[in-house]
Amino acid sequence: MKSLSFFFFFIFIISVFPFLCFSFNPESPTDRRVLVLLDDFSLKYSHSIFFNSLKSRCLNLEFKLSDDPSLSLQRYGQYLYDALILFCPSTKKFGGSLDLTAVIDFVDSGHDLILAADSTASDLIKNIATECGVDFDEDSSAMVIDHKSYAISGTEGDHSLIVSDDFIQSGAILGKTKIEAPVLFKGIAHSVNSANSLVLKVLSASPSAYSANPESKLLNPPLLTGSAISLVSVVQARNNARIMIAGSLDLFSNRLLRTAVQKAGSQDKYHKSGNEQFVTEISKWVFHERGHLKAVNLRHLRVGETDEPAMYRIKDDLKFSVEIHEWSGKNWEPYVADDVQVQFYMMSSYVLKTLSTNGKGLYLASFKVPDVYGVFQFKVDYHRLGYTSLSLSKQIPVRPFRHNEYERFITTAFPYYGASFTMMAGFFIFSILFLYNK
Amino acid sequence: MAREKSSKDNAQALFHSLRSAYAATPVNLKIIDLYVGFAVFTALIQVVYMATVGSFPFNSFLSGVLSCVGTAVLAVCLRIQVNKEFKDLPPERAFADFVLCNLVLHLVIMNFLG
Repeated sequence: MKSLSFFFFFIFIISVFPFLCFSFNPESPTDRRVLVLLDDFSLKYSHSIFFNSLKSRCLNLEFKLSDDPSLSLQRYGQYLYDALILFCPSTKKFGGSLDLTAVIDFVDSGHDLILAADSTASDLIKNIATECGVDFDEDSSAMVIDHKSYAISGTEGDHSLIVSDDFIQSGAILGKTKIEAPVLFKGIAHSVNSANSLVLKVLSASPSAYSANPESKLLNPPLLTGSAISLVSVVQARNNARIMIAGSLDLFSNRLLRTAVQKAGSQDKYHKSGNEQFVTEISKWVFHERGHLKAVNLRHLRVGETDEPAMYRIKDDLKFSVEIHEWSGKNWEPYVADDVQVQFYMMSSYVLKTLSTNGKGLYLASFKVPDVYGVFQFKVDYHRLGYTSLSLSKQIPVRPFRHNEYERFITTAFPYYGASFTMMAGFFIFSILFLYNK
Repeated sequence: MAREKSSKDNAQALFHSLRSAYAATPVNLKIIDLYVGFAVFTALIQVVYMATVGSFPFNSFLSGVLSCVGTAVLAVCLRIQVNKEFKDLPPERAFADFVLCNLVLHLVIMNFLG
């Protein structure tokens, strides 16, 4: 009897577990589904610390082999997953209905992607990266080698396990706490086109790094050298999809997450590498748990009224307000910054004001409509490193004065008014005098 | 020497004769002359003001100057017609014309003043 009630209690508890992570809702995107493609299932165990950290943040991971014939990202036009992790560098062809175009369409529809390559990277993986704006080294046997910034290990290696601490300066992407220990990396190099404003180098190699085959002698100077080599890059697309491309699958592995680091030529010994903090923080950014802004309630009204007017008049006083929130992973928090600006724009900006905030995410500005009539726009353009870009605009016409809105009596014309009235009075007095003088 | 003295004497004699002739005019004509002088003086003040400040409400300037000039013109007409040597109109009729024309003038002025 007792065991039966215990059994039912146990079943009840288990069935409640899925609801501990709140159910999916586009307004509050917790509990997202992520497809993880692997070359073989041993990666589930060799990278378990990374996967467990994702699971603890309410991300449902589904592990599949990359040549699984039942692979598909969408069914009946709906996407089955919210994000994709490609930890399958040596895959030449995906199984099922997945291919390069399907992956690119998935990203283009606003979903996130994490892609890791290594020295066994196939052309398919390199092409996906090229479509995202990142170019891997064409030499398929090349790895990043650094003879000055490598990790000291027990054996004298070929210096391909390198150490890097050249991080991008962004609190949004890498979190507020500085990563003290450097990051261990073993993999291939990629470069980023500096003309591309959407791609950012999150972890760059040191100036003494180069990309070459560690086993053979170097015949020609390597093409990718120095800080131009990017080890981990992120792309934030214009539809706010976020992509992370890393040149090393070992970067995420348990082995590198747990080892001690000592850079060659320096005395600092860190008992734990910065890999765990690095991959955790950057995965938070990729899955929109940080740096994702939403602007709502763009409102404008004339001072003294409560409704938005359909039209303004020149020289009106108006108040503009907008609310900006940031997704914190669980709910929308107010976003606090002092550099959000609004423009009153018609072909060029007539008024540019910095909005002041009340600390709860409400941004306010008040200004006078300029002395020009036409069709204006309230524009808020907010593009900051690591944050989603906000481009809001609202159109409003501005009319000139109506004929009865001008000032009734012009001050400079008072002498003329006075002269006319004195002439009338003079006429009256004169006619009295003229008629009644003896 | 004698010619200069005589031209100065001539000017003085002319001035004196003008003054004595003017003193002989009837009082009501002198009142009209005073009225005309007042109107022209007001017009001059307005022109000087416009010259300094600028002609911004030009319609107001024109209206003010027109009231002064029109008043002066109508007063001069009255003076001609009320003079004893003028036989065409009885002076009452002349005064009635003067009043009506002034009314029309001031109506126009008020409208154009803005």
